[in-house]
Amino acid sequence: MIEVSIHNQKFQLHPLGGLFWEEKSLLLISDVHLGKVSHFRKFGAAVPRKAIHKNFLLLDKIVSDFQPFQICFLGDLFHSSLNKEWELFENWAGKTPTEILLVAGNHDIIAPEKFEKLKVSIFPELVIDSFLLTHHPEEREGYFTFCGHIHPSVKLRGFGRERIKLPCFFKSKNQMVLPAFGQFTGTYSLDPKDSDEVYAIVEDSIIKV
Amino acid sequence: MNAPTGSGKTYALWFPIVLNYIKNHPDYKNKHKKWLKAIWITPLRALSQEIKQSAERIIEDLETQMTVGIRTGDTSTKERAKMRTNMPDLLITTPESLQLLLSSKGYAKTFKDCSAIVVDEWHELLGTKRGVQMELGLSRLKTICKELRIWGISATIGNLEQAREVLLGPTSPELENSVLVKANVNKKITVKSIVPKEMETFPWRGHLGLHLLHQVIPIINNSKTTLLFTNTRSQCEIWFQKILEKYPEFAGEMAMHHGSINKETRLWVEQAIRNESLKAVVCTSSLDLGVDFAPVETVVQIGGPKGVARFLQRAGRSGHRPGKESVIYFLPTHAIELVEASAMQKAVLNSAVEDRIPYLNSFDVLIQYLTTLAVSDGFYPDEIYPEIKQTFCYQAISDEQWQWLLNFLVMGSQSLKSYDEYKKVEVEEDGKFKVNSRAVAMRHRFQMGTIVGDATISVRYQKGGYIGSIEEYFISKLSPGDVFTFAGRNLEFIRIKGMVAHVRNSKKRTNKVPSWMGGRLSFSAKMSELLRQELYTAELEFSKQSEEIQALDPMFTKQREESIVPQPHQFLIESFKTHDGYHHMFYPFEGRAIHEGMSSLLAYRISLLAPITCSLAFNDYGFELLSDREIDIQEILDNNLFTSEYMLSDLQKSLNSNEMARRKFRDIAVISGMVFTGYPEKGVKMKHLQSSSELLFDVFRDFEDDNLLYQQAYTETFEHQLEEGRLRLALERIAQQEIVWKQCSQPTPLSFPIITDRLREKLSNEKLTDRIKRMMAKLTKK
Repeated sequence: MIEVSIHNQKFQLHPLGGLFWEEKSLLLISDVHLGKVSHFRKFGAAVPRKAIHKNFLLLDKIVSDFQPFQICFLGDLFHSSLNKEWELFENWAGKTPTEILLVAGNHDIIAPEKFEKLKVSIFPELVIDSFLLTHHPEEREGYFTFCGHIHPSVKLRGFGRERIKLPCFFKSKNQMVLPAFGQFTGTYSLDPKDSDEVYAIVEDSIIKV
Repeated sequence: MNAPTGSGKTYALWFPIVLNYIKNHPDYKNKHKKWLKAIWITPLRALSQEIKQSAERIIEDLETQMTVGIRTGDTSTKERAKMRTNMPDLLITTPESLQLLLSSKGYAKTFKDCSAIVVDEWHELLGTKRGVQMELGLSRLKTICKELRIWGISATIGNLEQAREVLLGPTSPELENSVLVKANVNKKITVKSIVPKEMETFPWRGHLGLHLLHQVIPIINNSKTTLLFTNTRSQCEIWFQKILEKYPEFAGEMAMHHGSINKETRLWVEQAIRNESLKAVVCTSSLDLGVDFAPVETVVQIGGPKGVARFLQRAGRSGHRPGKESVIYFLPTHAIELVEASAMQKAVLNSAVEDRIPYLNSFDVLIQYLTTLAVSDGFYPDEIYPEIKQTFCYQAISDEQWQWLLNFLVMGSQSLKSYDEYKKVEVEEDGKFKVNSRAVAMRHRFQMGTIVGDATISVRYQKGGYIGSIEEYFISKLSPGDVFTFAGRNLEFIRIKGMVAHVRNSKKRTNKVPSWMGGRLSFSAKMSELLRQELYTAELEFSKQSEEIQALDPMFTKQREESIVPQPHQFLIESFKTHDGYHHMFYPFEGRAIHEGMSSLLAYRISLLAPITCSLAFNDYGFELLSDREIDIQEILDNNLFTSEYMLSDLQKSLNSNEMARRKFRDIAVISGMVFTGYPEKGVKMKHLQSSSELLFDVFRDFEDDNLLYQQAYTETFEHQLEEGRLRLALERIAQQEIVWKQCSQPTPLSFPIITDRLREKLSNEKLTDRIKRMMAKLTKK
C-alpha cells in the first residue's frame, strides 16, 4: 500500500483498486460493474459464473482491511438493468456493517428506490470539505476530485521492446481517477504528462511510476 | 473431382446434374415443378456469377425450364425472402449461407428434393473452420435429402485422398461408394524471377517490393492483360497507387481487386478483365480462385506466396486455355526472398504441393451449428449425435464431451444455480432442444456469417455510397481530418457513426494505408526443405548457381564478413548488440510457424536457467530472442536446450506466458457466440453486450479453465499453429547438425528482416514486480 497526502489529508491506495481516506474513515471504490457477468449470461454469452462471486470476495477483503465507517462507490456499481446479481448485492450490503453511499454513474440505471431499501444513499456528486467525489472526471476550482469512469491503465516500456499494461490510480494536479474495481472490466490506457502521478497496480502491491 | 481451373469442371458437374433430372422426368419440357434440386457451394461469393452463367447456358441449351439462383452474403433481404416461397431449382451459395438456410424454420422441406450438392474449391475450405461448417451441413443434408449425390472439386493438394474422406465422412457409406475423378492435364508453367539490376541498393528487409516497380512496367506493356498478386490488401493498395503515381499513362487501364472493395467494383473489374479492357490488375487472393479469365497472359507474384499450391494456382491464372503455357513472374520484396524465388522454381518443377490439415474437434463450430438447429426447428440430441459422429471433424468426440456441449448450450455451464439467468437454448418437454427467444435467434443469425471475427466498419461517403470495409482497429487510430488511401482513393475521415465510417474525397497525399490483420502465412515443410537446399547452393561454384543466388552474391559476401552462410551440416546462431538490446539469432529455416514454437520453447528453457524477459520475433528463415541482458549461448548448448525430449510439456508451460492461445481464442469466442460483434453494417449498437475476447480469455483462465472451448484454444495452437509434429522433426534435425555460434559486432544480412519485425511475442518468468522495478530503474536513469 502507498499513502498520498492531498490538501493535508491522508489517503491509502489499495492494490485491489480502492482508496481509503484515513481522517474520515471513508473507503472509495469505483466501477465495480456488478451484474455484468449475469447480464452477459442472460443474453446467451456464457461468461464463467464463478467470476460473479469474485467481486464480492474482493469487496469483503478490502472492507476487512480498512474497516471503514463509510464506503462510497464512485459510480457504475451495477453494469446494467436489474438481474439476479442484485440479490447477491442485497446480501452483501446487509451483512456489511458499514454505511454505503453511491455517486451514480452512467451505467447506474437501477431505480433509486431499490437502493434506498438497502439504505444505500445515492448522490449525483458529493462534496466533502475541499474534495469533490464524482463518477465522470471533472475539475472544479478550489476542489480536488476523486472519480472513476475511465478504468485507467498505463503502458510501461522497457529495454528490449518490453511493454506492459497495468491498471492504475491516475493523479493529475487536481484530480485522481480510480481504477476499475470489478472483475471482467477492461481498461483504457492513458498517457501521463510530466505533472501527473501514476500509481500502478502490480499484483499485490502499488508502485509509483 | 480433381481438376485445375479452366479445365471445364463447372460444366463437368452441371451437365450430369441436369441430365439426371431429365432422365427422371421424361416430360421435363412441359411439366416443370419448381423447387430446389441441386446446390453448388462456392467458398468465394465472387465466383457465383460465373457459375450461374455456366448453369444457365446448359439449361437453356437443353431446353429445360430450370431456374438458377444465387444466395450469398451479398443477396438482399428482399431476394432472400422471395426464395423462401420461390426456391430456384439450382442454388449457388456459400458455406455460411447454407448454415443460414439451416437456421430457417421448416428447412427440411426446402432440401427434401435436393439430389446433388457440389462443393467447389474444397481444398480452400479444407483446413479451415468453414470446412468444418460444411462437414456439419452435409451431415444434416445426408439425412433430410431423400437421395443425395455429393461432389467435391479440389485442386491438387498433398492429401487429396484425405480431402475426400473429410468431405464424405470417414466411416460413411458415401465414402465407400465414392470415386475419384482425376483430370490428366499437363500444364506447362514457366517461372521467371525478376532479379534486381542493382543488387547493391536492393534492400535487406521490407515487404512491399516497390524497388522493382520499374522492372514490372515492361512486363505489363508486353502482354495483353497482367495480374499482379500481392499478399495483403494494404500492399495491393500501395502498389496500385505507386504505379499510377509513376506511370500516370496507365490510368483508366488499370484496376484493383481485393476482398474489402465493394461488390459492384469487384464485379466490374472481373468483367473488364474478360472484355480485355484492362492492361493490369493489382489484386490479392480475392482473384485466386475460379473465375475464368481467358485474356490474362501474364501473372506477377509480388513477395513470397508462402505456398507452392497457391503459387501454382496463381500461375494458372495466365494462359487459362487448355494447352497454353502459363507464365508467372516472381518479384522479391527483399534480398533473401530471391532464395525463395529460386526454390519456388524447383517446387513448381516437382509440383511439391502442401497438405491442408483438417480440423479435429472444433467445439466452437459445433456449438454454433447446434444453436443453428435449435433456432430453426429445434433438434433431438439422439438424432443429431450419430450424424455428427460420422463427420471427420468429430469422429473422436466422446459421450462426455457431447454431454458437456449440451449442458453448455442450455445452462452456459455444467450445473444449475438458482441465481443464474443464463438463457439461450431451452429443452422442451419431449427433449427437443429449441431456441424460443426471438432476440437470441436474431443475434445468432447475424453472428453466423462471421466465422472469422474481426470487427469491420463499412466505409461510406457522407452523401451515401458504399466503398468497402476496414477493420475497426485501423479506423480507431484515425482522427477526423486524417487522410488515408483506400480502394485506390484518397479519403478524408469525417466521423464514425455506428458501424459506419463517413469519408469524403481528398486531394491531400497520404501514406496511411489500412492494414488488415492475418495473412501471415508460413512455409510448408516441403517448401522449407526446398528453401534450405537452395540456400546451401550459396557455397557452390558460381557457375553452378541459379541466377537468383548469383545475384545475391554481394549479400552473401557481407554475411560472411562476420558470420557464415550455413551448410547442410551446420546450424547457425548469431549474437550481437544494438540500441534495442541483445539480439540472439537462430536460423533453422523451417518456416514461420515452426520458428514461432521453437523460439517460445527455447526462451522458456532458457528462463529455467535464470529469470529472463525477452521478446521473440520470427520469419520463415529464423527467429530472434531479444533481451535486455546477454544470454549465454554456450550455456544453452551445454544444457542441450534444443532437445526434443519433454517438448510438449515445455511448450505448454511456455505458452502459459505468451499470447498464442489468447489469439486463437478470439475466433473461438466469436464462433461459439460468446462474444457478440454487433450487427454488421446495420449500425445497431450492442455495446452493453460487447466485450473483448481478451477480457473473456482472462476470466476463463481464472475461473473456468476446464471449459472445452478455452482448452480448444490451446489444442488449436499446438496442432494448427505450431505444428507440433513438424517441430519435433525440426528439433531432431538440429540435433544432428554442428552448431556454429558467431558473435558479431553488428546485424548481419540474414538477421536483418527478423530484427526489424515489430510484431513480437513476449515471454517472461520474472516476477512482474521485479520487471516493473527494473523497467522503472531504466526509466529514471534516462
